[in-house]
Amino acid sequence: MAERNCRLLVIGGGPGGYVAAIRAGRLGLDTILVEAETLGGTCLNIGCIPSKALIHAAEEFEAAKHRAGKNPLGITASAPSIDLAATVAWKDGIVDRLTGGVAGLLRKGKVTVIRGRATFRDGRTVEIATADGVEIVRPENTIIATGSVPVELPFLPFGGKVISSTQALSLAEVPRRLVVVGGGYIGLELGTAYAKLGSDVTVVEAAGKILPQYDAELTRPVAARLAQLGVKVMAETKAKGLSADGECLVVTRADGSEEVLAADRILVTVGRRPRIEGAGIEKLGLTTERGAIRIDERCRTSMHGIFAIGDVTSEPMLAHRAMAQGEMVADIVAGESRVWDKVAIPAVCFTDPELVSVGLAPEEAKAAGHETITGLFPFQANGRAMTTGRDDGFVRVTARASDHLVLGIQAVGPGISELSASFGLALEMGARLEDIAHTIHAHPTRGEALQEAALKALGHALHI
Amino acid sequence: MSYDLVVIGTGPGGYVCAIRAAQLGLKTAVVEKRKTHGGTCLNIGCIPSKALLHASDLFEEAGHEFAHLGIQVGKPKLDLAAMMKHKDDTVGANVQGVAFLLKKNKVDAFVGTGSIPAAGKVLVTAEDGSTQTLDAKNIVIATGSDVASPPGVKVDFDEKVIVSSTGAIALEKVPAKMLVIGAGVIGLELGSVWRRLGAEVTVVEYLDRILPGMDSEVAKQFQRMLEKQGIKFLLSSKVTGVEKAKSGGTVTFEPVAGGEATTLSADVVLVATGRRPYTDGLGLEAAGVALDRGRIVIDDHFRSSVPGIYAIGDVVRGPMLAHKAEDEGVACAEIIAGKAGHVNYDVIPGVVYTMPEVAAVGKTEEELKAAGIAYTVGKFPFTANGRARAMRKMDGFAKVLACAQTDRVLGVHIIGAGAGDMIHEAAVLMEFGGSSEDLARTCHAHPTMSEAVKEAAMAVEKRAIHI
Repeated sequence: MAERNCRLLVIGGGPGGYVAAIRAGRLGLDTILVEAETLGGTCLNIGCIPSKALIHAAEEFEAAKHRAGKNPLGITASAPSIDLAATVAWKDGIVDRLTGGVAGLLRKGKVTVIRGRATFRDGRTVEIATADGVEIVRPENTIIATGSVPVELPFLPFGGKVISSTQALSLAEVPRRLVVVGGGYIGLELGTAYAKLGSDVTVVEAAGKILPQYDAELTRPVAARLAQLGVKVMAETKAKGLSADGECLVVTRADGSEEVLAADRILVTVGRRPRIEGAGIEKLGLTTERGAIRIDERCRTSMHGIFAIGDVTSEPMLAHRAMAQGEMVADIVAGESRVWDKVAIPAVCFTDPELVSVGLAPEEAKAAGHETITGLFPFQANGRAMTTGRDDGFVRVTARASDHLVLGIQAVGPGISELSASFGLALEMGARLEDIAHTIHAHPTRGEALQEAALKALGHALHI
Repeated sequence: MSYDLVVIGTGPGGYVCAIRAAQLGLKTAVVEKRKTHGGTCLNIGCIPSKALLHASDLFEEAGHEFAHLGIQVGKPKLDLAAMMKHKDDTVGANVQGVAFLLKKNKVDAFVGTGSIPAAGKVLVTAEDGSTQTLDAKNIVIATGSDVASPPGVKVDFDEKVIVSSTGAIALEKVPAKMLVIGAGVIGLELGSVWRRLGAEVTVVEYLDRILPGMDSEVAKQFQRMLEKQGIKFLLSSKVTGVEKAKSGGTVTFEPVAGGEATTLSADVVLVATGRRPYTDGLGLEAAGVALDRGRIVIDDHFRSSVPGIYAIGDVVRGPMLAHKAEDEGVACAEIIAGKAGHVNYDVIPGVVYTMPEVAAVGKTEEELKAAGIAYTVGKFPFTANGRARAMRKMDGFAKVLACAQTDRVLGVHIIGAGAGDMIHEAAVLMEFGGSSEDLARTCHAHPTMSEAVKEAAMAVEKRAIHI
């Protein structure tokens, strides 16, 4: 049985884990990364990246459909058809390229990558089952970066017609009728993509509306577009299980009545949960909180020398949070003085229109005890939005009334995901409304809407 | 009629100035000689060109992109008249919006050509020759700019064959061959539009590079991308003649270094060699307003040489950009209202709306070298960015220039799809005097193209992760 020591062992090669390992390697730490499957984790293999590729293809397809016939842009094309296998092959090519890129970066960082399944024997000893047998690693420090898995509904287990987001990214053909259980961002992103590709989509959501964690003002444009795309949203509706013949989904409406929805595929996207089981983590007796490993402001767990980052440490389960944590922990292990002091972690829903939230929403700010002022600027009054034929959505900024400190920025609109960077930066820099209002924003861009929203909050918007 | 402020010209500088002044309680009027407000930008500039850039980009994608994504579709056909209508509708909505805003803010609008017979007076001459005089405690000149011909060459614009940007956004059919004089923003944007719609486009430029004034590494890479798209460049070429021929037009040029002249012909010749400040007919000489090479001389508070007369936008010093004019309009109105208006000229973003887009804010490498400032460079390519790959927009990179001593960010240059939106975080950062570390330590959403900007900032201290 091979045995080795190292300064840092990273368990899990997703965005958190591989970033930690690359950073540690470059800082000269003797680093080992263990990954049971393909490098890149959920994000690169079956999450963010492939879904964005599919969303992009679906968006283009829908635009092409829209152009078959009379349309305002003056582009006429025949009705398009989709070869989903080709789309999936293209997407797989991107995934291969990026996961291969991660492998190259790890190599360049002189990180030892072991393909296998890690299990803690104790806090200082990790056993790795590889294809060639078992290896023992005795690390000085360990980062648990095992990520998360889709939540399975006990009465609607995955298999057959019932699929998770993973299968939804690799279907051989476009399902005629798709029922999505769970109207959160994953369900809506994929549901919207398939609606554009031609599926008849129904979204079943237990809460009173889609994207329940965001306020109604923010989600209204998304709901409107879903309706336009022919997606049926059933709010206050709970999935109950498959019908007796296994062909349909039975749901319970708010009034207690039951309804049977015929479906070729049932996509269950009711959230993700930390992946704790399977690596012997339970045995370590780490303090957990609602199924997630509890960490402090340096990502330290309750056991000395063991860190945890990313989805396994609970919400927000976002790749960029995991990456920032991974980078920080690598610095800490290398002896740098670092602490988690992020003011803002942007959240993006790649729905249509896209939705971004950074910091507090108006209601959240009030609930936190702030006296606030809010400015909202609609894309209807934005020149750039008009030139693209899509002027739905807005940018909204909330600030503390006393000193105009910006507390939160939200936006909804086509292609506004890229605005998230400037929102996050404004919060990190402690911007006041005046700081944003007095920054010249290029004309004509959608970014001007942030400047105008800040002006609006100050009481002197120019373009509304 | 008597006003606290009369603004001559309702382009982005003028109408914004008027709205801000009205918000601050000044009795304000505007004078505009066009039938619609919005000036060059909204009527014949930024907005219509962006509408065509958007539509032509979609046309090109339909023709070339779809197969890669598994979308099968026949060759797309173009209905140019419908595309032009999309442009005109966009312009219509925008200019109506300005009229509405002026009315909402109780700004009186006079249609006619404004002139200044004396300080404190604005004469409005309507199209039918009738006149009206407004008393104005303060006057802001915001008359903008007009198309300029190449130096020493007389050009007869007919806006059909020999066109300026005005004609180039309203062609009735796609020219088989198009010659563009000038490889600046306007020439490259409109050249791109017509190349996408099927024209064979050749750009003739006096300098040995494209996009003068922008970072030269960006310009060099951008030229390669445009060449790959099919645009031809003839650099270091001095245009000596632009003529209309029996069908189409001709352009004669010779190497700047000297040598034999060449004449090329094309169906349409687009002259995009820059713009000149427009002060014709204002009567500035009589009013005693000083000019410097055609631009109105102003001090740091937008005051001309005559008390009570101010000037903003393309008609004064600085880059001819709508957003620069708008900010000057706001600052000028605030100063007139007795407040402290200010424009930070070090942080004015610039965008080229081609595909990929080019965007920049702050200093270029050349400017830093010339100023003797030691700097460090961080760069990150979009080929290593997941979102870029997922949208097949891998062309380009982000580049951050930071002071070698203090790490303060001095310039950011981005070439890539959506660069025009990504540049704003750099603008906000630079308004704060932020460092590359501030940018590098800000959590950027994944997967977005903006992550490349963060990685470029990380690369300044050689700690980029994904390259």
